[in-house]
Amino acid sequence: MSRTSLPTAPYCTIGPFFPGEFVTGCEDLTSFQGKRAQGQHILLTGRVVEEGNRPILNAIIEIWQPDANGVFRHPLDPRVQEADPGFFGWGRARTDVDGRYSFRTVMPGGTLVNSPVNSYSVEARCPHLNLMILAIGLTRRLVTTVFFGETPDFVRDPVLECVADPAARARMFARRENDRNVAADVPVYRYDIVTRGESETPFFLD
Amino acid sequence: MDATKPVTIEASELEYDPYHEKTQLARYIKNYPRSFTRNPSQPLIERPLTLSELTGPLALDQRLGISAEDIARLTPDGTRAIGQYIEVTGRVVDEDGAPLAGSMIEIWQANSAGKYIHEMDRHEAPVDPNFAGVGRFVTDAEGRYKFRSIKPGAYPVTESTWWWRPPHIHFSIFGPSWMNRFITQIFFPGEPLNEVDLLLNAVQDPEARDRLIFETTPTVVGAVNFLTFRRDFVLRGKHRTPELD
Repeated sequence: MSRTSLPTAPYCTIGPFFPGEFVTGCEDLTSFQGKRAQGQHILLTGRVVEEGNRPILNAIIEIWQPDANGVFRHPLDPRVQEADPGFFGWGRARTDVDGRYSFRTVMPGGTLVNSPVNSYSVEARCPHLNLMILAIGLTRRLVTTVFFGETPDFVRDPVLECVADPAARARMFARRENDRNVAADVPVYRYDIVTRGESETPFFLD
Repeated sequence: MDATKPVTIEASELEYDPYHEKTQLARYIKNYPRSFTRNPSQPLIERPLTLSELTGPLALDQRLGISAEDIARLTPDGTRAIGQYIEVTGRVVDEDGAPLAGSMIEIWQANSAGKYIHEMDRHEAPVDPNFAGVGRFVTDAEGRYKFRSIKPGAYPVTESTWWWRPPHIHFSIFGPSWMNRFITQIFFPGEPLNEVDLLLNAVQDPEARDRLIFETTPTVVGAVNFLTFRRDFVLRGKHRTPELD
């Protein structure tokens, strides 16, 4: 990348100088070990901004999600043996000078089977994925959840219900972009993240 | 851990000591302006733990390439990078001290002149053609990791008029769940710059701060010579290693 394409201070020099090669290829979750992921492939994209709606350049975004049938590739999932062999479930991207990130992934399925783990996790979850942000100025990663669904007011989800403010809850839903306005071969879902400021994204303690 | 075989665990194993501000990094750091414009103004929200939070990517070596144990050269027969040759070892454990086997560790660091291979690094120091400064390793059955590298140099934060980052190595660790995703920086003992680094000193508790500094081990002279440093990581609980992104 040309140095002239980058803004001058205050965006440069303070870490993380997260290696580009740790990101390359990780934005696409739609295949694994040579097999194509099942289900609806989507493009999840959005901008990450700080106070004053200023873009955050060079933020690292990671996601973790179940496959199209709601199965996690993890031994705690009682359905793990049914996990899609073409889907791993983890991805990583980096924001550009406009604060924009993109993932190609699959629409996550709801996790309808109760976990045997313990009393915490007896409730089903609506379709969602987990998202984490690392950036200069954040001493600790920020974690949030991206929900999918057309009618936020009617979605029931034990994590979503922890967010008291209805307006903040609505911001946790990825929005389907009008297909006529975007040139993409798959449906596009937009999820903007405001780390601080008006319309701040809700973040979770973990 | 084999990702394709179901297991169950007891609820008691999931309990951990709550987040403690003094033993982790302060959220807002004076003279570190980005922390005031980027950290959320609203409190972090407590949520129930469901399967989604209790799981996380395992066996990442199926997805990401592993590097050679010696990252001080680009190929096994290549020229060694300039700098003090070091070996870094340690263990990754959970809050009960149980080893975490099969955890992926990613490391990245500056070269011995304090220069990263990164388009945003504007420090005028030279790139070393024999050093990439990145590595990926997987912990063994005892949770152990080991790699060889060269000691990184210090580098200036060019927006500031005085701040030099002390030598440090970045660690990104994938624990057994999404809650255990862990990123930090580990510093070298006895470095004068450690005393004034804004990030390291944002951990108030001295004992917790020491968990971000390598331990030295007895020196050995032999056929191949390197200085050895050790750092264990505790991913959750009261003795958790502080996160430092």
